[in-house]
Amino acid sequence: MPSLLDEVRDVARGWRWGRRSLVPRSAEPFAPTPEPREFPTEWARTPAGRAARAAIQRLVLRPLVWSQTEPRVHGLDNLEGLRGPVVFVANHSSHLDAPLILCSLPERWRRRTAVGAAADYFFDVWWRAAGTALAFNAFPVERSGGRRLSDTPWRLLGEGWSIVVFPEGTRSKDGWVGRFRPGAARLCTDAGVPAVPVAIRGSFAAMPRGRGWPRSGHYPISVRYGRPMRPDPGETPGAFMRRISLSLARLWDEDHLDWWTAQVRAARGQTPPPAGPTGPRWIRVWEASRPLPRHRARPRVWS
Amino acid sequence: MSRPGFVLEVDERTPPLLVHRGEGFGLQRFPLGTRVVYPPDSLPPLPDVRGAIRTALLNPLGSEPLPELLRPGMRLTIAFDDISLPLPPMRPPDVRQLVLEEVLELAARRGVEDVELIVANSLHRRMTAKEIERVVGERVFRSFWPERLRNFDAEDPDGLAYIGKTDKGEDVEISRRAAQSDLLVYVNINLVAMDGGHKSVPVGMGSYRSLRHHHNVNTMLHSRSYMDPPSSALHGSAARMGRLLANHLRIFTVETTLNNETFPREFGFLNRREWEWSLRDQAGYLAARKANDAAPARIRREVFRRIRAPYGVTGVHAGETEAVHERTLAGVHRQQKVEVSGQSDILVVGLPYICPYNVNSIMNPILVMCLGLGYFFNMYVNRPLVRPGGAMILFHPVPWEFHTVHHPSYVDFFEEVLAETTDPAQIESKFEQQYATDPWYVHLYRNSHAYHGVHPFYMWYWGAHALDHLGDVIFVGGDRRTVRRMGFRAASTFADALEMARERVGSSPTITYLHSPPLALAEVR
Repeated sequence: MPSLLDEVRDVARGWRWGRRSLVPRSAEPFAPTPEPREFPTEWARTPAGRAARAAIQRLVLRPLVWSQTEPRVHGLDNLEGLRGPVVFVANHSSHLDAPLILCSLPERWRRRTAVGAAADYFFDVWWRAAGTALAFNAFPVERSGGRRLSDTPWRLLGEGWSIVVFPEGTRSKDGWVGRFRPGAARLCTDAGVPAVPVAIRGSFAAMPRGRGWPRSGHYPISVRYGRPMRPDPGETPGAFMRRISLSLARLWDEDHLDWWTAQVRAARGQTPPPAGPTGPRWIRVWEASRPLPRHRARPRVWS
Repeated sequence: MSRPGFVLEVDERTPPLLVHRGEGFGLQRFPLGTRVVYPPDSLPPLPDVRGAIRTALLNPLGSEPLPELLRPGMRLTIAFDDISLPLPPMRPPDVRQLVLEEVLELAARRGVEDVELIVANSLHRRMTAKEIERVVGERVFRSFWPERLRNFDAEDPDGLAYIGKTDKGEDVEISRRAAQSDLLVYVNINLVAMDGGHKSVPVGMGSYRSLRHHHNVNTMLHSRSYMDPPSSALHGSAARMGRLLANHLRIFTVETTLNNETFPREFGFLNRREWEWSLRDQAGYLAARKANDAAPARIRREVFRRIRAPYGVTGVHAGETEAVHERTLAGVHRQQKVEVSGQSDILVVGLPYICPYNVNSIMNPILVMCLGLGYFFNMYVNRPLVRPGGAMILFHPVPWEFHTVHHPSYVDFFEEVLAETTDPAQIESKFEQQYATDPWYVHLYRNSHAYHGVHPFYMWYWGAHALDHLGDVIFVGGDRRTVRRMGFRAASTFADALEMARERVGSSPTITYLHSPPLALAEVR
């Protein structure tokens, strides 16, 4: 006979205590999809919102992420001399990704960067939407098909805000990089702004899907910025996204091995896609969950 | 407007589902893809039940208004359904009381003096005075008990009248008082589609000699299902008897239908779909479950026995039996029918603490079988919910326990008959006569509060169609000795039961869970 505690746990899990309650899909009443009303986020970009965000990011977010994990940031030199706005295009496998990018960016970029966040996840209830908008300068992105595309990202780029986009549309289920949708590339081609690929490795091992807090053990995470890329004249969003994707794969390879080897493999067209090993799902998850090495082996200079 | 019934498909969002387990209940996770059949939400009750009864009596279907059938000097008999309906017993006032009071009011006004009320208990146990009072109300009870309000006695040689044979040679023998009345008013509660119609008088007031023509294995095997009267040989036989009776006797039928408000507010979560449980429902479930688990068996039983359903009356129809019953059935279907697409490999049912034959009593193993393989298996129209050769998984502890006053012949049936065979046909041919005519059982039926000696046989026949149809029957949490005696299998957990069923239905079976009570009648396409 289950104990009271077990029973309470079952009920708490079954009825999602503390989370949104969900109706089984087959029990959802039919309702024509209403035209989504976008959650207003302009207030988060007013001087007061910016000041509050700067304080949250500097005093809460960064100390929190940096104390629980061990981020290593590379390639910020690629942003030297670059004038915004840009579209940061990153792979996505953890809730840590957005704070890692925002908090690793230099101050002048950070204060002018917004993040595209899933409307159905982060903007479903007012308090979560307001918190996300304030802390991350986030704006809602509709990821379900058939909805009217919001003009917010174009407007933001026009106003000089850089944007962080995760073109996979959701966090990776196995820790590896999935298919990139061309929306981010379309932003670049339409607005004529460069894209900056960002490869994030190790965040899945540190805090995979389903966790609300990083695993203990200060897992290393690598955030590697690539060179800005501009769409060629007449280049389609699909073609540009393929180039971005290849560039991100090189960054991933560079982070995995070293810059020179990655360059050689790229020149030979042998850059492996960051899609992980083939085989059953557990092997892919197993490999992606392996923490990054804490210290890179350096060649010994003095014997 | 209340929502119709529907079939849920279990997905990762689905919370664990409530399953009845005899005198208890629990939450159970079902495999993804399991279909769950939910009854329609409770229909709104009639705002003025007494008014509706009066309207029905004054504007009957296929008959003159009741006052026109009443006259001074006539012999009036009023019969009504016994304690087996409704389940759980209804919170007072019972709708039968309301109908009886209206009918008696009219009879008094019309100068009828020779009035008798009879509980149509057939071969069921005699109701106690207290139980009768709860059904008919204090006013009627005080006026008529005990001289003119009594239980029917199917073994009283002087109290029976032989009417004749139907065109199929079925004997019709009913209460002499009813047969010799100028008017018989029958008051029913139509809880399920099986009840009412011509089944009321020929069965409720019939003797063993009459009942054996339809309460037998062959009829039950050809009643597919007996919750669907047009497809039921049982109802076909009862209809022939009823029509014969109608040629000899004026019958005025009053039928009532109830909504699905089966459990009182304290157990409100039992009436609701799980994903709609409020925090209060969840807390109510946890409190009820833990209190139930912690309580001694006697207290637990007492708490369940005291449950009174807050049923609302959804319809009252009166007049000629067949015309009335057509409307009544439509009302029952409106409340219970759910369209289900296709059969499945496994049917899962959680059996509640009560069935028609253990009100204020104990649900013994034979009644458990009857409730599961009889009633719940037959809650279909067109085709069973489970395919031929499929498996049925039932949740019930099936304790080896009997009420020796109410069910004396059950004890012997279980110990003697089932020890030899569980085959309904063999049981019928070898043992039925002996039990049906045993003088001791007859004595207990007439003078104590015992079910008739033949009653456990009928309960076993009630499951004959399911036994014939199913490939495997597994009781989750069932007492192994008891379950084995009945020829079934027991599993400790639902997972084990599914594993055992896979031997019969393959490794990736389709599963349907009939989420009941409240009652649902599956119309399987």
